[in-house]
Amino acid sequence: MVGSVSIAPVQEEITSSDSLVEADVPWITLVWNDPVNLMSYVTYVFQSYFGYDRAKAEKLMMDVHVKGRAVVSHGSREKMEIDTEALQGYGLWATFQKDD
Amino acid sequence: MARAFSRRGKGKTVRYAAKLDAMERAVVAGLMEQVHDLVAPEPDAATTSGDGDDFDSIVSGLGGLGMGVSVSAEDQTPDQRPVPTDARSFGERDPALERLLPAGNRTDDQASAEFRRLTEPGLRQRKARHLESAIAALRAPGSGVELDERTAIDFVIALTDVRLVLGERLGLREDADVERLEEELADADVDDPRAHAMAVYDFLTWLQETLATAMLPVSRPPER
Repeated sequence: MVGSVSIAPVQEEITSSDSLVEADVPWITLVWNDPVNLMSYVTYVFQSYFGYDRAKAEKLMMDVHVKGRAVVSHGSREKMEIDTEALQGYGLWATFQKDD
Repeated sequence: MARAFSRRGKGKTVRYAAKLDAMERAVVAGLMEQVHDLVAPEPDAATTSGDGDDFDSIVSGLGGLGMGVSVSAEDQTPDQRPVPTDARSFGERDPALERLLPAGNRTDDQASAEFRRLTEPGLRQRKARHLESAIAALRAPGSGVELDERTAIDFVIALTDVRLVLGERLGLREDADVERLEEELADADVDDPRAHAMAVYDFLTWLQETLATAMLPVSRPPER
């Protein structure tokens, strides 16, 4: 991912996925890092598609950038396929899978 | 000299305006046309084709539309580098098309195939529509580009898809590739075609950065 916007330092202790996981929703949507998508644009997509606030959208964006991928949503398989399709529509590199 | 996108007004009357000269608009629109031809639904969408022959016929004769930058598959030197196994599944298709329409599931090929069958026609249509809308905005009269909220969304997505295709043509698959390419180009011939393509890519990056930043929803201060 590339970016020229300044982003506040990420707090390393907070693992993003933990706060999102719900016990009995076995499917997830992942977004993978790529060298083309802009940090500002990825943040924009997370805010406008999921309705996440800026802080959460930037945290997920930084996870994608630094860790190579991030879990961006949890839910039924049908819902995860809808999210994956929508994010691919935005040009993000999204996939869905069972949450192991 | 181009001037970045900026936001004017808010709510329903919001406008995003940039100043681009005629040649800059023509370059961007030309590349968008090439990507449109790459991604638009195939004439016979009912059959699952997507093989090389169909693809070649679709992109043939498009050279020159991007002011010397062609993203058409037949103008590319094959990329001989091995595909990272965890990165993406190129299959038999053009890797740029595969980047626009990637496998939906990396752990289950069958689920991936089913996802593709169900979503690809709609995704192709949507991407084609974004590109058409952006091209129309670039060809509208005036000394720049002015977008309402709906068209701005089409435009920022269209720029993404063009950069994804151009990035793939430049071999940008991992973050490290960007630095590698910049180093190679620093030592390359001035007439290396990649240098011009990279300059166009950088221009598109700048343009998209300013538009995406202007479009970021403003976070409201906490209610009291």
